[in-house]
Order: sequence, then C-alpha cells, then structure tokens
Amino acid sequence: MSAQFNVVLSGTIADGHDLNSVVSSLAARFKIEVARATALLKGQPSVVKKGVDRATAEQLCAAIMQLGAQASVEPAQAATAVASVAAASNPQPQPEAAAVTSASRDVAAKTLTPDPRGLKFSIQGQPDYAFLTVQIPANQTLKVEASAMATMDTNLAMKTRLRGGLGRFMTGESIFINEFTAQGGPGEIGIAPGAPGDLRHVYLDDQTIYLQNSAYVASTSGVAVESKWQGLVKGFFSGESLFLIRCQGQGDLWFSSYGGIIEIDVSGEYVVDTGNIVAFTDGLSYNVTKVGGYKSLFFSGEGFVCRFSGQGRVWIQTRKVGPLVSWVWPFRPSKK
Amino acid sequence: MDIQLVHRPGNSAAKLTLDAGESVTAEAGAMIAMSADVGITTTTHKRGSGSFTKTVKRLFAGESLFLNHFESRRAGSEVWLGTPLPGDMTTMTLQRESLIVQGGSFVACENGVEVGVGWQGFRTLLSGESLFWVKLQGTGKVLLNSFGAIYEQPVDGELIVDTGHIVAFNETLQFTLTKAGGSWLHSILGGEGLVCKFRGKGTVWCQSNNQRSFGAALTPTLRARSR
Repeated sequence: MSAQFNVVLSGTIADGHDLNSVVSSLAARFKIEVARATALLKGQPSVVKKGVDRATAEQLCAAIMQLGAQASVEPAQAATAVASVAAASNPQPQPEAAAVTSASRDVAAKTLTPDPRGLKFSIQGQPDYAFLTVQIPANQTLKVEASAMATMDTNLAMKTRLRGGLGRFMTGESIFINEFTAQGGPGEIGIAPGAPGDLRHVYLDDQTIYLQNSAYVASTSGVAVESKWQGLVKGFFSGESLFLIRCQGQGDLWFSSYGGIIEIDVSGEYVVDTGNIVAFTDGLSYNVTKVGGYKSLFFSGEGFVCRFSGQGRVWIQTRKVGPLVSWVWPFRPSKK
Repeated sequence: MDIQLVHRPGNSAAKLTLDAGESVTAEAGAMIAMSADVGITTTTHKRGSGSFTKTVKRLFAGESLFLNHFESRRAGSEVWLGTPLPGDMTTMTLQRESLIVQGGSFVACENGVEVGVGWQGFRTLLSGESLFWVKLQGTGKVLLNSFGAIYEQPVDGELIVDTGHIVAFNETLQFTLTKAGGSWLHSILGGEGLVCKFRGKGTVWCQSNNQRSFGAALTPTLRARSR
C-alpha cells in the first residue's frame, strides 16, 4: 500500500485555456518564476513531484489541472508498480534502456488522452461535481446510462435498449441504457451522473470490472454490461443490492460515485464498508463479514463489511447516500 | 499516527496510517475502509475511562453511543475515515490542553486524548443547537469534521459566532450566549437568533454552512410525516 507516485506535468494545456494565463497562474500558485513555468509548458512531460503517496500526488495533480495545465499521477517505479487495469493494457515490452521512462509516459498519456485505442474524452469538476464529455467518432456508438445525457450534438441519434437483462430491473437501477450513434460525422456528448461526486475512466482490455449497481455511467460498444447475481447471502447482508454490474470486454468504461473516489490497490486483503464500494477488478474475490466481534456487529455503526482478497484494485467512495437521507429525515414538514 | 486528508473540502476523507501497536478511537460508523489486519473493538467509552453517565451524555451530544477502537498490529496499516454529510475535515494536535467540539463534529483521536462531554447548562439548550459539547482533553492528534468548509477564526479579545457555525474552540475561551442584534425582536427576525460571544485568547474553528439552514431549505420539498 505504500507505493510511491510521481506527478507528471505533460507540458500541454487543457482545451479552452490560454497559455499565458496558465503560465502565470502556475507560477503564482507554486511560487516559481514565470520563465520556469513557461519551460514546464513547452510540450515535454516533466516530473514535478517525486515519490509521494497516491493521495498527495492526486491532490497536486488536481490542483495543476484546475489551473488549466495537463498533469497525471503515475507510479514511481513504473516497471514494477503498475498494477491492475491500466498496466495490463500496456503495450509490448520496450527496449530495456528506455523501459522505465516510456512505460511511465504511457501511463501518463492514458490518463490524459486515455488509451490510444479508446475515445477522446474529458472529465471536469472533479471530485465534487464530475461531468463527462466524450467525442464519439463518426458511425460509432456509445452506451450511456438512461437519463444521464445532459448535452449532445444534433447528429447523435439516440436509441433505447433493454440491456443487462432482468437483473438490472431488480437492482432498482433503470434497465434501459441509451445508445448514442454519431451519424454522418463525429459528435460530442455531455454526460452528467445522477449523484454529485467523482468519475473514473478505465480502458478494458479483455478484462472484467464489477460495479456497484448505481455506478455505471457509460461504455463503448465493445464492453458487455450485465447484471450479476451476488448470491442471496452476500447481497442481503451487504445492505446494498443483490446484483452487481459486470462490465467486460474491450473498450472504454466510465463509472461514477457519490462523494470522492479513492483508489486502493489490494494485494492480500482489505476491508471496505459495503456502502462505500464503487467498483473492483476481477482479480479480487470478496466476502461479506462482520467487522470485529458481535458487539461491533451491532453497535460499531459499520455492520457488515466487504473483505476483499487477491490482487487487484478497489475504487471506494468517501460518502454514502444513507447517512444524508437519515439526516434529512427530521426536516420533513409535519402534516396538519 | 499519520493523518492525510483527501478530496477537501466537499468530499473529504482521512487516511490514518498507524504504527504497530498504535490505536485510534473513532466515532461509530466513520470507517469507510481499512487494512484487513486492523483489530476493531466497540465500547461505550474511551478505554479505561468509561462511565455510564458519560456515555448517555455523549448520546445527547448528537454523537453516537458507541466508539470504535482501531488497533494496528503492524507498522503501516491504514484506516480510512469519512463523514456522514458533505463537508470538510481538519486535524489538530493537542498538547496537554482541551478542545470543545460541537456535537457531531468529532471523528477520531489518538489514544492520549480523552473523549468526554461537557455539560454547558440550560443556556445552550436555548440556542437550538445540541445541548452538549464533546470535550477532548490530553495530548495527541484529533480529527474533526464539519458541514461545509472549515476555517479558523483567531480570537484575541471578543468574537461573535453564530451557534450553527461553530465546529470547535479552545477551552481557553470563555463564551456566553447572547442575541445578535440590539434587541431580541431584531435578532429573531433577522434569522440569527442566538450567537456565541467568545472572550479571551484562542481559536474558534467555524464551518461555512449551517446544517439547520440547509435542512430548513429542504423542508418544503420533502413529503410530510404521516400522522
């Protein structure tokens, strides 16, 4: 868990930003000279922070992105530390001497202009109000959670399909996934998840990711989306849904959370509150167990937890909807 | 214990990294994830210092009746803590001093800090806020949360803070509840109601949002209670 990460400035600026203003805000924010800030934005990737943990790196990265510059977080020892999904989709081995730098640059590129095989997209407003914009190439189709579309170009044609089988019906999640096809030319679509929170992208390369039932946002046509029965015991005690959404195949997948998202690379075991799970990779198996003794089961406020084991990544959210709802409860008006 | 805050201020969570044998006491329900080998025990009081009255008092303070104790068995094990409502988190280190925390804002503290409840008398009852304040006393790190962002207000002399915006304050400060305006009528019509007047030298930690105001804004859109 104590993996080290670097923050890499890609050297380019985000769309819709002016180079000069980004340079000056970067210089002001990090108290560096304007000349140095200009050099950092010459289009060459440069490591701006070395060997910090993931949370610190992500915080810095987010701060940089907010100023309009492009940055990414990557493992410090790219050759060894790249785990999970992103790594598995790495291209063939590079010549040895260049291996470390090129591998890390690869990861960086993936977070920015995702996977070269995937669609171009951008996520704004992280982590509180993440909003997704995807560029759909001509004649390609994007699957989007029903009612999540906020804006779109006029050449996008929408078709509603029943996806994911009966299971999704029972998850309480809408069973409809809308398909948006770009007709006659490329199109842009803006997608807003239901809850205020964070958003993540993963490029699946013949891999499988399980999502908590409300986390699905969008995916490309190569990804199969279906409900997976969790088993009565697991589903019942998790207090969540009896179903998970299984996404597998090849292509882009976006998922969202209520609250911020934290990535945890698990090797061995890790415990997560059942209500805080957003997604996890296929390499992990899980059990729903009680936390601590029986007293803790009833009084800890944690109830049942998910115990993950194996190798893989878990995405967790910092908030749960339940506590907000119970807080709102006393504010209901009283009937006369 | 090392505390790291992420996703501030709206969706903040805290990552605690513990040394071998180190333990931390947290509000029930705050844990969102942890290393699998962290031991957890649930009690109604801080270890070795419990009494039933303290427990009941804490319940009235808007805190949970129970506290969880997380104990690390190896160096580097992690515990992630979150908050029930959208908001910020902050940490501070106590050096043989006490901190008064608004009921509901306490998240966790190190072993050297005692979790007690200070009865503030009936004057607090009038403020419409919780009757009780949690009193943290001793030496060690503490973790607090708020509704909205947290900001510090140093006090040297006097400062007036709306009761709904107080997260915590040093015990070195004296406080009295008073009206915001010149007359009671104006204070109530002005929507400020009661305010806290702090006197002395110390710091008040405030939250940018007031739970009561947000809740009241939601009321018209909620379905009425039955009966």
